[in-house]
Amino acid sequence: MIRTQDVKRSYRRWAPVYDIVFGKLFAHPRREAAEAAARVGGRLLEVGVGTGIALTAYAPSLSIVGIDVSREMLARARLRVASLGLAHVEDLIEMDAQDLAFPDGSFDVVMAQYVVNTVPDPDAALDEFARVLRPGGEIILVNRVGAAAGPRRAVERGLQPIVERLGWRSEFPFERFERWLGRQPSLRLVERRAMPPFGHFALLRFTRIDPS
Amino acid sequence: MNEQSVPSGIDPKLLEILVCPLTKQALRYDREHQELVSAAAGLAFPIRDGIPIMLVDEARRLDDAASTTRPEGAAQ
Repeated sequence: MIRTQDVKRSYRRWAPVYDIVFGKLFAHPRREAAEAAARVGGRLLEVGVGTGIALTAYAPSLSIVGIDVSREMLARARLRVASLGLAHVEDLIEMDAQDLAFPDGSFDVVMAQYVVNTVPDPDAALDEFARVLRPGGEIILVNRVGAAAGPRRAVERGLQPIVERLGWRSEFPFERFERWLGRQPSLRLVERRAMPPFGHFALLRFTRIDPS
Repeated sequence: MNEQSVPSGIDPKLLEILVCPLTKQALRYDREHQELVSAAAGLAFPIRDGIPIMLVDEARRLDDAASTTRPEGAAQ
């Protein structure tokens, strides 16, 4: 069971070195996610913005609000925004992905990279992403998506002690996303693409259909 | 543009986009105490250096106004 305070504590420790460890490793998925966001345009919510490592990848035409539960990570994001003059970043706010403080339909894109398996209640977070998404908008996730069996599964088990230090949940099979999607009649899965490193990660895109 | 010249204030645009994270209802800005108040949830969310902290576990409960303790001893 992951608790929010555990996540906060974990990322407080990771804040000083996160970019060094994860900068290059996740550069490709970050770029792909940013390109998908640019195709939608408008207002983007970056959930788990962390040190703001993804912010530089976004098209300047987007308006970005970033949230995170870790004050230490957000402090680094603020430094990055100020030092690089990232004018498309409107606000960085301490907020929990499971209890978003935005009205319904506030964003054209809800982006969450390496977030869903770190929160105590992933379904609650995903429900919130859907709630604040405007019709026609997209939820874009980059996430570790577990394999049910086979050699990849064995590698995942080997990786587990490492990712647990990030507060990442061990098991996050795609079926969990499918079950969640089954309870969201207004959402459609539009893309599922394997991502490096190792193909253990996936870019997932969901769109909210216009009810009219 | 010149909003930043008021250091203890909060960006009015930010007030417009925020609601209570629990009830999703409108918040009231308490300028004196630098808090965003959710009457429906009975919580006041602190604003530090112009930045609202919208975490429920860092909010002040309105029914024990004297308490300054944090539920889980979070940083600061």
